[in-house]
Amino acid sequence: MGQSTARTEKESSVEELKNRREWWFVAEKTRSKRLDYLRKGVWKKGAIGGNYAPGIKIDLTFPQLFIDKWQEHEGEAIMLQKAHALAHVLDNIPIFITDNSQIMGYIGSAPHNIVWHWQGISMVNEEIYNEEGIIPEPEEESLEILANLNDYWGGRTAVDKLARVLDPEDAVKFMSGAIGWGTPTSAATYSTKDFDYIFKGFEAILAEVEERMEETEEKLQGNPSPEILPLYDKLPRWEAMQIVLEAGIRYAERYARLARTLAEHFESDPERREELLRIAETCERVPAKPPRNLQESLQFDHFVQVLSRYETFEGAWPHRPDYIHGPYYDKDVNQDKRLSKEEALDLVGEHLIRTHEVGIFAPKWAREGLQGITGTWVWTMGGVKPDGSDACNDMTVAYMQAARLVRVSNPTFGFRWHPKVKDEVMRECFECIRHGLGYPSMRNDPVLVANTVHWYGHPVEEARTWVHQACMSPCPTTKYGCQPMRMASATANCAKMIEYALHDGYDPVVNMQMGPKTGDPREFKDFEDLFGAWVKQMEWLRNILVRTVNLGRVKDPEFFGRPFLSAIYERAVETGTDACDPSNGDRGNAWVTGFTWVENADSLAAIKKFVYDEKKYTMDEVLDALNANWVGYEEMRLDFVKNAPKWGNDDDYVDDLMVRCLREVSRHSKENRCPSNNTWPLLPENVSGNIHYANLVGALPNGRRLGDALYDGGISPGPGLDKKGPTAVLKSCGKFDHVTDGRAFLLNQRLSPTQLSGEKGYQLWKAYMKTWADLGLDHVQFNMVDDATLRAAQKDPEKYQEVIVRVAGYSAHFVDISRKTQDNIIQRTVQGLG
Amino acid sequence: MATCKDCKGFFAREDDQDRGDCVMRVTDPRQAYYKAVPVEADKDASKCSSFRKR
Ligand code: SF4
Repeated sequence: MGQSTARTEKESSVEELKNRREWWFVAEKTRSKRLDYLRKGVWKKGAIGGNYAPGIKIDLTFPQLFIDKWQEHEGEAIMLQKAHALAHVLDNIPIFITDNSQIMGYIGSAPHNIVWHWQGISMVNEEIYNEEGIIPEPEEESLEILANLNDYWGGRTAVDKLARVLDPEDAVKFMSGAIGWGTPTSAATYSTKDFDYIFKGFEAILAEVEERMEETEEKLQGNPSPEILPLYDKLPRWEAMQIVLEAGIRYAERYARLARTLAEHFESDPERREELLRIAETCERVPAKPPRNLQESLQFDHFVQVLSRYETFEGAWPHRPDYIHGPYYDKDVNQDKRLSKEEALDLVGEHLIRTHEVGIFAPKWAREGLQGITGTWVWTMGGVKPDGSDACNDMTVAYMQAARLVRVSNPTFGFRWHPKVKDEVMRECFECIRHGLGYPSMRNDPVLVANTVHWYGHPVEEARTWVHQACMSPCPTTKYGCQPMRMASATANCAKMIEYALHDGYDPVVNMQMGPKTGDPREFKDFEDLFGAWVKQMEWLRNILVRTVNLGRVKDPEFFGRPFLSAIYERAVETGTDACDPSNGDRGNAWVTGFTWVENADSLAAIKKFVYDEKKYTMDEVLDALNANWVGYEEMRLDFVKNAPKWGNDDDYVDDLMVRCLREVSRHSKENRCPSNNTWPLLPENVSGNIHYANLVGALPNGRRLGDALYDGGISPGPGLDKKGPTAVLKSCGKFDHVTDGRAFLLNQRLSPTQLSGEKGYQLWKAYMKTWADLGLDHVQFNMVDDATLRAAQKDPEKYQEVIVRVAGYSAHFVDISRKTQDNIIQRTVQGLG
Repeated sequence: MATCKDCKGFFAREDDQDRGDCVMRVTDPRQAYYKAVPVEADKDASKCSSFRKR
């Protein structure tokens, strides 16, 4: 009786919380004790408004172990040298098993530690030395370790080596920080993974490597010829793969040993003892052999992700876990009934938590661009199978349900919508959005499959395997489709295109001639002259980024080296090459991320209307106002803000310009070639680059001042500038072709949680999604948290720790982003549907 | 001289009794866990502040 009263009280309080839409408290009250413990146990690794949380420390055990062996193997081929060093780390780094946990593996020697990859960029190493709060005690000793490390690696990092071969002018402009961001090395990157291949098990891959080595050794004993000469270099690469695969198996065995020790000597609770023995059995099985059940498949997957991140900073997490793990869930839960749905949900929830807890140090500029998270870990859900049939399964639903229980901001989901998605799955997507998670983002699968075929020629069956390579860009997970290295530097600060067109290529913020001299705009005869200058600046900006990154890509095997990634890449195992070597069959899947893109269309439209069509202002006046950062020109500025046409209002005047700009870029995207001789399409999106670049982009003709946040989306209208409602936004965005006019286009929308409550709310949203799909848009994502909650969270952050918002291509806990970003989200127009 | 193998925290490996894991309970401000670090059985334990005699 007492128990049932308590249950009733709990249920009614959950109902009340739901009515108040306090989803974070609903989650806390409805998740299992295990998930509650694990969720609350996570150390927050994403930087809070750019700074690490108190208690977070940089891991010094990892580099010390690494360097010991690295120096011992000095002079060997880089992949082999690194393999020895990594194996030593995996054999010796402290490991731990958190109470109640069932999935093992962490990058670092303690849960509050974050790692970094000192072989990448010297500047980052120096930044760590000077970063307050993250140096472990005793500080003096730690600083000495860091100083020694910096002394050794100064001049030897991948970027140091690249800088020596780059054109000096390109290097200076690239490093100015004004035109783009990122690092042209796989030391800071991300890679697609083919789990069909990886799940064969490391022992099977080792056997394959062994076979290749034997064949090669035989050839080397044979007839001397030019053909056999390159084979000499392959042997150490295969040896490196062997070393890391074997070390990966031993790393898992260490967890198995610890779990057995705990079961036999420490644990008194029989249930937990059983769990520990199951953990031991799991870690003895994977990654050595193929998984047989859900726990083993999740564990295998997580070990692979952890091992990859011991090798390098993988800033994104291209993944399709419902597709990979779905068959194991089906076997355990539906067929063998080995697991109950609740037990499976615990594993899935923990999978999200284990991913969320991963922390890797990022330099300040990157932390500002990715506030609140470690990287853009967008997991792909739904979609179709290679034959085009619906791929959604019970794991798709389980991940959505688990996400609402654990409310992590990272990973988030991108859902591959297609016409055959069942209503029950759409409802799960909507529930996540309604609970304010900001995810899943909705992706138009037929459009993106066609886009993937159009730009790179991936066969359609392969294109259908796509995952989000980072926030947005699809990449097939196949032998020749996998992308080993997202060339992160091809990220353009696109607002500079219009800024440079208006300043003859000169950058008034960093005070440097950056782009080509395209003429004084005062001398331009008409709008076409201005547009011509814009095209030249656009081409120059893309060229310098793509040039630098192409060079970084081909040099990566020489300057950085990826033994582990190579060991799990079928084409690298087959050819004895580094996974990043573009000559091993990589089909190419490069793109230029376009930050701060929409400002171009709005700025061009403002000048076209006011200077050339209506002659309301002269170019002289506009340039004077811009050079004064609009100070003293407030009335004129407001005219430009309020009365110039703005993208997102179904106004052909500006929309046609947007389409024209995109078509120019698309033409140029085919002229730029990647090392695999494939294209470089543009992908407009912002992460939180719109805040990062606020102080690097000068005043613009859309009325923006230096320091003001830029627009938040890739094709989202400026905050508060979309006055005609949600359908007008969709119509504007539907005026260009999402297959041929670029790689993908990020659209942020804010919806009202009050309007979208209940069944009526779901039906309204579904109708909106139909319009979105009919117009052929490739992406949309939603914020559905009301202003009152967000303002309350600003006032009382402690109480609103689990409120999540969609920032750009990712979600973050609202309290972890800077005040400027918070305000930028509140300013976005809340669209009423229907 | 006390060595790791004399310590309660030492668990020898089945395949090699000269090596093992030093297993410790840690409670940090957010979570509790067991940690394992590989050690040699004959490692000098005289300076180890966590040594607990078997
Ligand atoms: S290192 Fe210290 S605590 Fe660990 S086994 Fe040796 S003596 Fe015991």
